[in-house]
Amino acid sequence: MKLTSRNSVLLTAATTLVALVGCEQAPAPRFHLNKVVMVSNEISPAYQQEVANVLAAMFGTPDAPYALPESGLNQQRLTLAAGAAWSDKQGVDRGLYRKHCVHCHGINGDGRGPTARFLNPYPRDYRQGVFKFKNTYNPAKPTDADLRRVLNNGVPGTSMPSFSLLTESELDALLEYVKYLSIRGEMETKLAQYVYDELGEAEKEDENGEPVLDEDGNPVMERPPFDPATNAEQGDVVKEILTEVLAPWQEAVDQVINPAEDQLPADNRTDEEIGASIAKGRDLFYGTKANCFTCHGPTGLGDGQQSDYDVWSKEQKAFEDATIQLQESIVSQQKEIARLGREGEETDEEEAKLAADEALLALRQPVAHNFYPIRNAIPRNLRKGVYRGGRRRLDLYCRVSAGIAGTPMPGVGAATPGAQGTLSEEEIWNVVDYVLNLPYEPASNPQPALPWNSDQIAN
Amino acid sequence: MNCNMMKRLTSIAALAVVMTVGTTAVAADWGTIKGKFVFKGDVKPEKIVPNKDTEYCSKHELVDESVVVGDGGELSNVFVYLNPGRGKKLDVHPDIKPAAEPRILDNKGCRFEPHAMTVWTADKFEIRNSDDGIGHNTNASMLFANPKFNEQVTNGAPIMKQFTKSESYPSKVACNVHPWMNAYVLIRDNPYMAVSAADGSFEIANIPAGKHDFAFWHEAKGNLKDLKVGKDKADRKGQLEIDVPAGKTVDLGVIEITPALLGK
Repeated sequence: MKLTSRNSVLLTAATTLVALVGCEQAPAPRFHLNKVVMVSNEISPAYQQEVANVLAAMFGTPDAPYALPESGLNQQRLTLAAGAAWSDKQGVDRGLYRKHCVHCHGINGDGRGPTARFLNPYPRDYRQGVFKFKNTYNPAKPTDADLRRVLNNGVPGTSMPSFSLLTESELDALLEYVKYLSIRGEMETKLAQYVYDELGEAEKEDENGEPVLDEDGNPVMERPPFDPATNAEQGDVVKEILTEVLAPWQEAVDQVINPAEDQLPADNRTDEEIGASIAKGRDLFYGTKANCFTCHGPTGLGDGQQSDYDVWSKEQKAFEDATIQLQESIVSQQKEIARLGREGEETDEEEAKLAADEALLALRQPVAHNFYPIRNAIPRNLRKGVYRGGRRRLDLYCRVSAGIAGTPMPGVGAATPGAQGTLSEEEIWNVVDYVLNLPYEPASNPQPALPWNSDQIAN
Repeated sequence: MNCNMMKRLTSIAALAVVMTVGTTAVAADWGTIKGKFVFKGDVKPEKIVPNKDTEYCSKHELVDESVVVGDGGELSNVFVYLNPGRGKKLDVHPDIKPAAEPRILDNKGCRFEPHAMTVWTADKFEIRNSDDGIGHNTNASMLFANPKFNEQVTNGAPIMKQFTKSESYPSKVACNVHPWMNAYVLIRDNPYMAVSAADGSFEIANIPAGKHDFAFWHEAKGNLKDLKVGKDKADRKGQLEIDVPAGKTVDLGVIEITPALLGK
């Protein structure tokens, strides 16, 4: 009895506590800086804050995104997609990104939402501005139609579902927000590179360009702040960088792959004609000119070259490798300093470098430690008949012609409008025919089984 | 007619004068820098065992080319290039002309030839595949200012490229079919750049006289931060201001590269 009453008191206390915690408003989500970019560009904390300030001024916050007029982004759409998820009195959904996307793609659009760790492939990180499934030339951005197709169809074979039940205006809002996060992410990287290349602590100079010295005759150091709002020169640079980031988005519509009408395979091809095209495609697939088999494997199972990475993994792999290299370098530097010490030589300079490298390692290690396991880019198993970028013949044509941006898959068609490709358009259509036929082609070439009554069939 | 032509010529001349005045720093004089890189450490180039096209590729003795040194430690593939700063243009000596033939990056013997090269945006750039019956692709996904590309290259059908913008650093180019294959290409909108040769030496000639920042870069580390060049030291970006006097050659002498500098 006593025990029960004590328990009930405890229970009440616990309930109250939960209720209290539950009532507390979660802090508004904020954009976080891209740690890989900041650390690899050795951006100091002071500059990081300034980069964050500039980004906030240009793009606003996850609750209140700002559509820069130059960007051509639609403010209304961004507002509909951003902020907390709720429905207004008319039943219009608000905060669409947080309702449908954030758990995988993350507040920053870095593909690192809470569920990302459990998914294979990992959700896309928009911040590099690279998109795989689009019907534009390899380096070009996707068009709105491309992004809308991915939202409508999802990405078959991955965790990305179809959002075709959303309304047109909701899809518009989401694709606008994806573009917004991508532009913001690319901007962040380029600003960090600018700060690394052009700013940073430097020796102070007087009007004549001579170094300013302190009482002891040492050069005075100064840190030029990154503040484009007050520094006109920096303001111009930021505008320039923004133009560089925006131009490819604005030019995407001129970069759509349009296969020539007269090369299109006819709709009414006979079985023989299709068979002939498949046979040609087969030769190309296993030949070194198109070279598909090297990665997709001798039977199209995707078991060829499997040790490569896409650009998203590569970014982390490069960071991780450099961190390991730095760690090894520190060990050999320590040995070298010990050796010099034994020989009675000066080691001041070596020790200064060692200290600098150790400080750098201390910054890099926690970033590398937080990576999810880095995965290889595995070539698609073409026998499954599942095509991530869509199963229309045109989709496959674009994958083969332009390659898949950000991945090891190269293009065999024209690289830019009007350019000469390795394969002709007709040949690419042959490869498409063969790829579409691959799931139905026996992996080996077995003898067809004889009918049970073959002995009764007259020769 | 003649008179008209004269007029037109005069106006062109006038325009030329205005343009010259507009660009301010027209250097009438030019200078040269040169030097030689020597690596102060041991390098044992790792042998590469091909796992693709093994029969063909094994015929070529492939080694890891990330640090290539001569018998006396001469370090090749160090990039040295003039960095005028963001958005600033340089005058180009009238003798420096775009190459008549395209600059070639060849897929040859299951490696890229050359391993490190420079391309001026005025030059044409061509990617070849000289390995008969072997498929290569050339993946330049590490371009930032210029459009990235990733294309299949087949025998006898080279890919032609024309770049328009300066990249800040040499860009890694890879073949995804043969994962050991990579090369570094520095694309700049001025011709003032060099890659150290097999004997470790480099020379950049006909530079507009004056003080310039030069960047030093090697693929094993990237920017050669704190590189010691004579009495001077490169900054945190691996850059050093060098005064190039008119009509003279600045010999930077032997530039020693320690293993620590290359992150070894």
